[in-house]
This record gives sequence, C-alpha cells and structure tokens, in this order.
Amino acid sequence: MLRGRTPLGWLQLTHSKARFAVASAGVGFAVLLVFMQLGFMNMLFDATTVIHRQFQSDLVLMSADAEGIVPDSGSFSRRRLIQSAGIEGVTAWAEVYIGTVSWTKPSDGTLGQIVVFGVPTDVPVFVDPTLEAQLPNLRVPGTFLLDEGSRGDFTAFFAQIAAGTDPVAKLGGETATAVGTFRFGASFGTEAIAIVSRETFLQIVPTRHPGVINMGLIRIEPGLDARAMADRMTAAIDAAEVKVWTMPDFIEVTRSFLRVNSPISTVFTFGVIVGLFVGAVIVVQILTSDVQDHLGEYATFKAIGFRNSFLLGIVYEQSAILTVAGFLPALGLSLLLYRLVGATVAMEMIMTAERVFWVFCLTAVMCAVAGTIAMRRIYTADPAEVF
Amino acid sequence: MPSPATANPAIEIRHLNHWFGDGAARRIVLRDLNFTVERGRTTFLMGPSGCGKTTLLTLIGALRSVMEGSLQVLGKELIGADEATMVETRRRIGFVFQHHNLHRSLTVLQNVRMGLEVKGQSGAPDARDRCMEVIDAVGLSDHADKHQHQISGGQKQRAAVARALVGKPDLLLADEPTAALDSKTGREVIELMQRLARDRGMTVVMVTHDTRILDIADRIVEMEDGRLLDEATRHPGPVRKRPLPVSSKAG
Repeated sequence: MLRGRTPLGWLQLTHSKARFAVASAGVGFAVLLVFMQLGFMNMLFDATTVIHRQFQSDLVLMSADAEGIVPDSGSFSRRRLIQSAGIEGVTAWAEVYIGTVSWTKPSDGTLGQIVVFGVPTDVPVFVDPTLEAQLPNLRVPGTFLLDEGSRGDFTAFFAQIAAGTDPVAKLGGETATAVGTFRFGASFGTEAIAIVSRETFLQIVPTRHPGVINMGLIRIEPGLDARAMADRMTAAIDAAEVKVWTMPDFIEVTRSFLRVNSPISTVFTFGVIVGLFVGAVIVVQILTSDVQDHLGEYATFKAIGFRNSFLLGIVYEQSAILTVAGFLPALGLSLLLYRLVGATVAMEMIMTAERVFWVFCLTAVMCAVAGTIAMRRIYTADPAEVF
Repeated sequence: MPSPATANPAIEIRHLNHWFGDGAARRIVLRDLNFTVERGRTTFLMGPSGCGKTTLLTLIGALRSVMEGSLQVLGKELIGADEATMVETRRRIGFVFQHHNLHRSLTVLQNVRMGLEVKGQSGAPDARDRCMEVIDAVGLSDHADKHQHQISGGQKQRAAVARALVGKPDLLLADEPTAALDSKTGREVIELMQRLARDRGMTVVMVTHDTRILDIADRIVEMEDGRLLDEATRHPGPVRKRPLPVSSKAG
C-alpha cells in the first residue's frame, strides 16, 4: 500500500528549508525542556540518596517510619540492632547517630545548621577508603571531619585542616577540632555535614541518649540472600518500631517516598507538561499554516478522487517527521547539557535509555495530537470550489 | 471517427434541477435539464457567466451532490450516491481546471504520478514509464523534474493535462482551461488535449468562453439561466442553430 506513495508530507515540509528548520527547532526546544526537567528531577532524587550510598552495608535497620536518612529519620532503641546482629550470618554491625545542630561557620562566623553523624571508630562504616582511614583519628574526643561539599567558602578552613594546624569550630555549643575532610558529593537537603565519633556525638548533642540510635548498619556473609535476611531479621526483632531493608531497597524506598510525598515530582511534572504544551502549540501553528497554505491543492486532490484519509495521512506524516527531526538534535543537545550541568553542580545527571524511550513516545504523542488539531481544516477543502 | 454505441452514453441527464440556498434565498441554477453526451465526443458548454455551466460540470464530476432529477455518469447514477460512489466516479474522470492546480512542492513528474496514485497504480513497475509517456505526449519531457515555478503558464497547463490523462480516464472534464493563457498558447493546449483525448477514445466536456477554439468541438451546447438553449453542431458544416434533439422546452 505504501509502495508508490508520494511522500507529500516530507516534500511539503522541506519545500521551505527555513520553515522546516524553525518547526524542528520548536519541537526540539520542547524535547530539550522535557529532558532537562526530568534530568533535574532525577538529580534531585539521586541527591537525596547520596548519603545512603556512602555507607558500607548490606542491610539497614531503620525506624519503621523513616523517611530517609538525613536529617529527619526516626530513632529507635539500640537494643534492636544488637538483637538483629545476633542472627546467624551477620559478620559486622555498626550503630549510627544522626543529629542536626547549629554551628558557627568558620567561613564568616555566622550561624548555620550542620548534620552530624556519630559513628563507631573500630568497625567499617563508610565506602570511601580515605574516609574510613581517618576514622581512628576521631577517637580523640572533640574532633570532627568536615564535608568538602559543605555550602559556603571554607577554602581557608580546609587549607588549615590540610596543613594540620587543627582549626576549631563551634558545633552545638561545643568547641570541636577539625582533623580532616571527606566528600559525600553535593546534596540538596543539607548545608553542611560533619562526622564524629559516637562519644563526641553524645557530647555535642547532650539531649541524646546513647541507647537511642538512628540507623543500624549490618553486614552479612557473602553469598547470603540479603532480602531474605532482611525479612528474617524484621520477623526476629518483632517490633513495630523498626524495619530492616537491604541497602538497594532502602535507597529505592527513599526515592519513592520523595516521589510520592514531596512536591518535587509535581513541580517537575508540571515543567514537563509546560514543555510539551509549548511544543504542541508550535507544531499546531506550523501544521495549521501548512494545511492552510495547501488547502487549494488539497481540494484539487479531493476533486481528482483522493479521500480525506489520504490528506490526513499527509498531516500525520508531517507529525512523524517533525517528531524525529526535533527529537534527535534535542537528544544530542540534552546529553551535552547533562554533562555540563553535572560538572557545574558536582552531581551526576544520567540519561537512561528508558527516559530516552519515554520522551520519544511523549514527543510522538505531542506531535500527533498537534497534527490532529491542525488537520481539522482539511475537511473545509471543498472539491467543488476548485472549478 | 469511431462512433461508440449511443445506447451507452457517457453522460445522461434527465430533468435535473439544482439550486443554492433555501427558502426565500433559494436561487435556482439548473432548471429541468435534459442532456446526453455520447462516448468519444468532445462537447463544449458555453454561455454567460452565472448560467450554471460550471455547476453542471461539478455535478457531472461528482464534486457536488445531485439534488433532483437523474444524472448518470459513465453508467453510474449519481442522485443519492454515497461518498464512496462519488469518489469512485471521480477516479474515472480526468479533470483540467481553470488554473493548472499543480502541487507546488512536487515536480511535473511527481504531479503527474498523483494521477496514477489516486488509482493505486503508482507502485506498479511501469508507473514511471506511463507517466513519462504522457509527459512526452504533452511535450514536457525536458521539464519532467522541474517544479511549477520553473516552467511557463502553458507548460503548467500541459502538465495538468498530463495529470488528467495519465490514469486513462473515460471522461475528461475541463473548465475554461485556457482562461489563464494567451490565445496562442491556449489554442495549443486545447488542440493537444483534444488530440490526446481522441487518440485514447475519451469523452470530453469542456466549459469555455473562448470563441476562437470552437472549431475543435464535435458539439457545442449553449446554456442560459440554467437551461440548455439550443445546440450548434460544428461538424459537418458551419455553425448553425437548430433545436435540441432531446427537448428541454418543458422547463
């Protein structure tokens, strides 16, 4: 059926190169907008789990109503962790205290908020080996490590740390000495992060009881089914207040919690809709004026025996062409911008094949809807008017 | 000239009425028209503007629905015909319009090919040859790959004739095809059209004002105020008036 078909849509679109370029650019702009919105949204979700991924752990014990690690996860009794650590197959465990305190920023002396992690110094806690190597230094009470990604200009302070001059800062009213730095990577949720020993934590946050922790890290023997272990532990602890997750599940749960409960999704979905709407308006404009321009020719086609469906085919063909001609360059440009933005904010913006596929589908639907709106005028082409 | 069976005319019109508007605004365009066109002949429709000849042509061409009476084109009754029958009838007719009506984004060859595409024959292996044959016949072989803005007015109209002829229609309808051309070019185009149609045994019905080309017609029919006036037959002998064979006096 397609054999011998004149590609009228293509010929009409490309008849004016400038107009075709403008039309493709319009679609491309919409596609770019959608890709950037989705990129930012996922970067935001990724950023919220940046800290999750710093911990060296197979299983995570969290308060049952935990909404992510920082800074507002719930707390629970340390006994629960010890209980679950007793199950066969556990090789190591560590308790983590998390609190937010005010601190005097060494950059300009103003007050700010800092998230403090209190960790044991004698068991593996973090993924980063250079950070792990610094943990024994924290055994000196009143010492802390500061995140290089903390917001503010701490260049001078970091230089002092590097020089080993032990600069001090006020953490939650206590004077603490910075003995090193680490890098968690940028996060949207926190201004600054410090890591201290369990003992220093309880000193800085005196309201906290040593028996109440925020997170339990559990490592299990290699080869064991982590998810089955997690379920066994949850059952063994038999307490409504805690839940055991595998690390990947916990990351996913945090992301989906945010997706459902934060305005992030709504805001960016709105951005995507605006992008698609702008694109659709541009395509409607382009295709409507193309139909309008060719109304006489369409009437002639009808007069010599073509059906409406043939003419509608022309418009849908144009929709399809604009989809591809707009999508491909926009995809290329988006990949470039993803790298650029990622480098600028020190976070990764990842383009997934799934996203490419779905955005392509959205673009196709957008162009098809626009085509459907534009083609209404085709019915006004009256073959009796051509004589 | 071969004379096909008169029992099977190309067009047969009986008591055809047509009007525009309704109620007080109703304007009658065709009044009790009776008219038969035999196959293989070239008929000119003449008359002052507004006499209904173009409306008649659009009715014959199945471009407008028939309101009252009977209109048979190529053996198909068009009164009450559904869209499918209308489209089917159009596909058996070649149209040449007042203006060339070529598609501006297509070359001459591509435009002519549309005449085959409408019949679903553009995918055939000999499609290109068939197109080139007609393009050759209208003398545009050197211009087949040009767009309409690259060729002259006469060449455009000849391309339009080629588009109308390529599908080998049984009937060729033309509405003042020379209107946009100077008299010399106009005559060339008409002569060409007439010759090609006759070679292919087609019936031609053409609306024209152009008195300089009347000698080309086998038959000339004059219309006035929605009626057929009378008929002049050019061959044999000079133009002379005589009553219609099929009477329309009752109207």
